[in-house]
Amino acid sequence: MNMVFEEIYRDYWNKVFRICMGYVNDHDWARDIAQDTFIAIWKQLPNFRNEAAIGTWIFRIASNNCLRQIERNNKMPRAEMPEQIEYKADPDKESQTQFLYKCIAELPETDRIIISLELENVKQAEIASIVGLSETNVRVKVFRIKEKLTKKFEKYEH
Amino acid sequence: MSTDFKALWNNEGSRLPDIQEIFAKANKLNRNIRRKLWRENVVLPLTAIFIIWIWWYYQPQMITTKIGIVMIVIAIIAFLIATNQLCPLLTDGNAETDSRQFLTQMIKIRQKQDFISSTMTRVYFTLLSTGLALYMIEYALMGGMVFRITYYTLTFAWIAFCWFYWLPRKVKKRKKANNEVIARLEELNGQLGKE
Repeated sequence: MNMVFEEIYRDYWNKVFRICMGYVNDHDWARDIAQDTFIAIWKQLPNFRNEAAIGTWIFRIASNNCLRQIERNNKMPRAEMPEQIEYKADPDKESQTQFLYKCIAELPETDRIIISLELENVKQAEIASIVGLSETNVRVKVFRIKEKLTKKFEKYEH
Repeated sequence: MSTDFKALWNNEGSRLPDIQEIFAKANKLNRNIRRKLWRENVVLPLTAIFIIWIWWYYQPQMITTKIGIVMIVIAIIAFLIATNQLCPLLTDGNAETDSRQFLTQMIKIRQKQDFISSTMTRVYFTLLSTGLALYMIEYALMGGMVFRITYYTLTFAWIAFCWFYWLPRKVKKRKKANNEVIARLEELNGQLGKE
């Protein structure tokens, strides 16, 4: 079991971290949620049978852990610029990345999850089954969110 | 020029923490849960057993003592049933369902928690304090008048303090926090709209 978990941990850490980061836009907080997600995965793994859908399963736990943050902190800090970025890109790209995460964290909570999963290359049918919406509904939402982000970026760049 | 959101998105990342950190955190969580379970499910039943033992050992003569003991034991059992019903929901809270179901489930848990913190706390406290007051009648009668008056003044002052000051404040505070969370959860559920 340890080996399987370690493999999942290595493969999914950054994906889960990014989803949490999209939700809270705070490095330490996102790491905390990601760690809680892997604790839940570790606990539930022995009961998990459907290996084909492991990604969906992991993202469901991650998304729900993000939603659960409401219980821990009523007043979510809105989109602070992260203090440190660990993967340094060129300065322009770095500030654009920060801006993207800031914009996502300002969206309504469920939209943050939908767009994070979309950007993580999760199929829309899977996103639908993660959040509990129809595929059509997800498609519409993704389209609208991207439109919103594009507008924000257009303003940001000019 | 359209921005490549996916490329920017993938630019973010975090150093992979040592897997032992995860295990350590999981163990710490387990220890906390065990401690909580131990506190409630061992200490409280032991208290109940101790009280029943007093009944058997000292053979109280007055009916008030016996009623008092029964009330205290019922209070403990009621408290344990209520908290144990809630405990698995709070710790597991089936995180593997979809977000919509998860949110609905969380709202239900919170509503149940609200009921427990307001109604059950009052029931527990009423049974416990009345039981205690009845239980002590027999032993208070063994003392002199000054002891009886002092004892009952102090007991009723304590009950009044809890009932009229401490309990309403505590219930109100918890209710407020709980209602805020329920409202936020409902708002989130609303974001998903009706399917």
